[in-house]
Amino acid sequence: MSATPDISRPGAPGGTPGSARSGIAIPEWVRSIRPGVALAGLVVAFFVVAMIVPSLLTGQDPYAVNLEQTLQSPSWSHIMGTDQSGRDLYARIVYGARESLLIGLGATALGMGVAIALGVLAGLGNKWVDGIISRGVEVMFAFPILLLALLFVAVFGPSVTTEIVAVGLGTAPGYARMVRGQVLAVRDSGYVEAARALGHPYGSIVRRHIFPNAMRPLVVVMTLGVGQSIVWASGIAFLGLGVPPPSPEWGALLNAGRNYITQAWWLEVMPGVAIVLFSLSLTTLGRHLQQRLEGGVNR
Amino acid sequence: MATYAEPAGGAAVGVKPRRAPWAKRIAWRILGAIFVLWAAATFVFFVQQLLPGSQATLILNQQTGNQQSYTAEQLAPTEAKYGLDQPVLTQYWDYIKGLSHGDLGNSYSQFKPVTEIIGEQVGPTLVLTITALIVAWILALGTILLTSRRRKSVSTLGSGWEIFSAGLPYYWLGVILLVVFSIELKIFPVQGGTSIEGLVLPALTLAIPLAGFIGQVTRDEFEKVLDQPFVTSARARGMGDLAVRLKHVLRHSVLPAITLSGWAMGALISGAVIVENVFARPGIGNMIVGAAEHRDVPLVSGVVMLVAFIYVISNILVDIAYAIVDPRLRG
Amino acid sequence: MGPKMNRKDKNLSSPSPARAPKRALHPRASLRALRAHFAVFAAVAMASLLAVGLSACGGSSATGAGGGATDGSGNGAVPGSTDTAVNVVGTEGATAPTGTPKSGGTINYAHEMETPCLTGGWIQEAYIERQYADSLVSMTKGGKIVPWLATSWKTSPDHLTWTFNLKPGVKFTNGEPLDAQAVVDNFYAWLNPETINPTVQTYIGEYFKSAKVVNDTTFQLTLSKPYAPLLPVISQGYFGILSPSTYKGGAEAVCNEPIGSGPFIVDKWTHGQNITFSRNDDYNSAPQNAVHQGPAYAEKLIWSYVNDPTTRYGSLTTGQSNVIYDVPGPDWATAQNEFEVQQYITPGRPDTLDLNTINGPFKDQKVREAFAYGADREAAVASAFEGKTPYNGNGALSQTTPNFNPDLEDTWPYNPEKAEQLLDQAGWKKNGDGVREKDGKPLDILLIYGANSIITNEGATVLQDLQAQWKEIGFNVTLKPLAFAELFAAEYTKPTSYDATIGYWTSPTAGVMLITWRPWDGKEPNSYNSPFYNDPHLIDLIEKGNASFTEAEKDKYYGEAQEIVTKEKAAVVGVYTQETTLAVEPNLKGVWLEASQGEPVFADAYFEDQS
Repeated sequence: MSATPDISRPGAPGGTPGSARSGIAIPEWVRSIRPGVALAGLVVAFFVVAMIVPSLLTGQDPYAVNLEQTLQSPSWSHIMGTDQSGRDLYARIVYGARESLLIGLGATALGMGVAIALGVLAGLGNKWVDGIISRGVEVMFAFPILLLALLFVAVFGPSVTTEIVAVGLGTAPGYARMVRGQVLAVRDSGYVEAARALGHPYGSIVRRHIFPNAMRPLVVVMTLGVGQSIVWASGIAFLGLGVPPPSPEWGALLNAGRNYITQAWWLEVMPGVAIVLFSLSLTTLGRHLQQRLEGGVNR
Repeated sequence: MATYAEPAGGAAVGVKPRRAPWAKRIAWRILGAIFVLWAAATFVFFVQQLLPGSQATLILNQQTGNQQSYTAEQLAPTEAKYGLDQPVLTQYWDYIKGLSHGDLGNSYSQFKPVTEIIGEQVGPTLVLTITALIVAWILALGTILLTSRRRKSVSTLGSGWEIFSAGLPYYWLGVILLVVFSIELKIFPVQGGTSIEGLVLPALTLAIPLAGFIGQVTRDEFEKVLDQPFVTSARARGMGDLAVRLKHVLRHSVLPAITLSGWAMGALISGAVIVENVFARPGIGNMIVGAAEHRDVPLVSGVVMLVAFIYVISNILVDIAYAIVDPRLRG
Repeated sequence: MGPKMNRKDKNLSSPSPARAPKRALHPRASLRALRAHFAVFAAVAMASLLAVGLSACGGSSATGAGGGATDGSGNGAVPGSTDTAVNVVGTEGATAPTGTPKSGGTINYAHEMETPCLTGGWIQEAYIERQYADSLVSMTKGGKIVPWLATSWKTSPDHLTWTFNLKPGVKFTNGEPLDAQAVVDNFYAWLNPETINPTVQTYIGEYFKSAKVVNDTTFQLTLSKPYAPLLPVISQGYFGILSPSTYKGGAEAVCNEPIGSGPFIVDKWTHGQNITFSRNDDYNSAPQNAVHQGPAYAEKLIWSYVNDPTTRYGSLTTGQSNVIYDVPGPDWATAQNEFEVQQYITPGRPDTLDLNTINGPFKDQKVREAFAYGADREAAVASAFEGKTPYNGNGALSQTTPNFNPDLEDTWPYNPEKAEQLLDQAGWKKNGDGVREKDGKPLDILLIYGANSIITNEGATVLQDLQAQWKEIGFNVTLKPLAFAELFAAEYTKPTSYDATIGYWTSPTAGVMLITWRPWDGKEPNSYNSPFYNDPHLIDLIEKGNASFTEAEKDKYYGEAQEIVTKEKAAVVGVYTQETTLAVEPNLKGVWLEASQGEPVFADAYFEDQS
């Protein structure tokens, strides 16, 4: 990439002196990253690494019981303290990221998948198809996530799969409605009519125009969705319906930490901070993405 | 409902009177509502047919505190009593028939009709969720009115707070509030029961994240509307800033948030399950966890029906609110 | 349904480029939003780092693994022929008040789990029944039996007939007379399938032959075989005498509206919240070992259900409750300083690991012994319960049970080397992952337990601690907490359901062993025989113990029985005991725990300062 003066930056029609002087090609999308977004990216990256290669982030074994060191407050040897079995809390949070993120991603993917299927069908179909599917989505809405999760856990037992399915199906109707709305908006836009007037086959219009344009804003929603899914899955575990011990899944940590909150506050606060931080980071990134995708011009 | 204005212009001339299409819409809504309720009932009934294990054994054991298995003859009277020996479709049909009469059956874990049990417990939950919704609205609107488009730092603070609070998990926030304000500072009672003081923390726990969410959605819309020409003209006519915000901008920008409120009731009920658990509050949230744990099929079905019903009603109310708030939609 | 979609969707962004000029987000709005993110981030990140840093620098080390058991207030002689230093507190430890306590006030008691009924087989139902019903006899701290509704009794030389004399002039709270007929009705109702009380059935079902009225205040019980534990057994709350009209109302009345003759009357039961009791002003049938005779001092008793330990303890520290049940482990130490803490170690079968003797890896006794040697149960209990609950090495009986065999306390001390040796001998060799294998199969152990219903949080922590230790010697233990419904649907009662489980069976007598060791299959399957260990010789010993009327004989038979299951066969491995703990605010005096099951007694409780 050549070093083009960046005319897109506000108030700098000729490019900043800096960029012209250095001659290094910094892609515009990099330069658009504000410090907050960068920080958010780092946090997300941290947790993604935690999910894939947790041993990189901590040398401790999250399952190693040490009865001499129970309920230690944060110190240099255990930066987030230890729990009631002497396990290092930081290590448990890092390894817990794997389970929690897995559930969050899985649930969002499932929810989105179902939503896209329903939403596209409803948006493109005729009045009857739309009507029936919309009614079906209405019914799904009537089942709050936790209710659904309770039902599923009662029937299928608590496990990662159950949580993914419950949260996924619980969030699907919201996405479905969005998808349908997007598809409708695109379908009714003058652009599509024009394309059809030009004789393009319907199938290719769907594939090349309706679909991508309808989905683009959903990318943002998905990033937000992963955070929300993790929060809900943790809620299920918090009620004691989650993955069995000694899993360090974040919700399970919160469930266990509840009993020690007056004695060992870090057990309840730290996992919560992890969840909030992660969710916050995803929201930030999501909004940043939204900025980027909404307009070619980023301000 | 007779508050609709005359037809906004633009409709074809010589149309039928206003009332007919409006009544038709209501009729469709009700039909749709019934469909949703029926579908929910069917789903929850059949899902629970998948429950493993013998229901009759569970019923017997949990009433007696035993953990033993029984022979078929020992189970027969219980099965007959609860209709468990009938074929599935018969049970389903009986169930739906009962529903249409408002009979939700008898609980397996308590010797009482489900309607009675729910009746006792639904009040506190409704109080909690509605209070939380109202508080959330107040918090969200307050934050927006005060911080939108002001000095950079103020506005940033407002926006940032919304984003942060929207991501707070209910259970975490609840536990922290409980420990800090009830146990340590002793400002609010630990066992809330149904008192007003006992309502504050649980309602706040539900309201704060919801306010963040409503706030974000409304803020975007608010700021878009603030740019509209009619606002400038109102200001040119000498209206004060706050007055402009309140009278004109708010009205248009709350529409998406009103839609959200319909969905929010469902989310609030989910949240109520957790909040009631954390604060040891009575209500259907706690009850349904217990019912699911005990595989009390009629009670679970009853709660699901109730929630579906609340959801459906909320949506109808949202439609009405929408129509009232947005004059453009009355056409 | 619902408003048109478009309006809301516009918020997300219009996707199609051919629309009217797209309104980008106002530049300032987006900038501001992003700056908001940064600000929030900085704040949260800083706060977290600060918190970590502060606590790291200034932090003191928290309470680590505690030492041995802490004594509750007061000591007591231990029932039975042993002298282990454990407490059965409360009972006659409640000092008689000087002067007459003032009457009045409402006792707010925060209990834990709600039971399905107010009467029944759950121990917690016995706690409730103690409030509104009286039993025939009462058990004292020393294991002695003293009069209650029955003023005296005698038994025939062959011990098959028992004759009881009842206190005259006692009435149920609905006015019906509590006479011999009422008592006889109770015995039959307890065993009647319609209104059955399963705990009663399990104890005396195979011993009971008939009951009959001799005169208004005398009734006679006829047994099919001698039953020495009869008196301790009927002192429990399950054997509370209810009015015959209750039984006429069927199972529903027994469950929801039982009527007894006790110090309190059930007013209202709000499910999920509390039970409200009001004082029985005509109460005149307190047991001989009560602190005072006559009606209760308090006017009302509110029995609330607060399952969460933090909330429950918090309700005590904030004064919302006057007395709470089950002091949480983390608060055990501080509670001793601020409140009157009472602890009752429940006799009977303690919380023990049951090992499946007929299916799976534990079929081999060597593997069972290795399992017992392989984890430090004593340290795990001390750590998880933070000194509250004692370790109980004897797998068959709790240390406060009469005829408890103390020699079995250290049957399987922690000895990982020995455990590894045994496993090697049994043919299980460690593979690359550290898990032992034999004939290509790994040493997988499925350990199931009733989460929250049977095993508390601290108990679950014990299991996790042990799991880690077992892993070191090559056992791959999977913990499977069972939800309430899974447990009580009896889905996990077959030999193929588990390799190990853990549970308890409270009882004031060593005769409980008959309940826990009766054959698991056959004509009357016994789900309580969790190790699936059938042994006619064992049953014979226990039945002989049940028919012995001298301590020496009981020690002999019960002692040998305990040795078989704990030491000889390693079918059960002891971990910790059940208990009742109460924390009482200083202003409320006179609360005590009775001796048969640790039922809390509020009839003698009064507020010192009534302002």
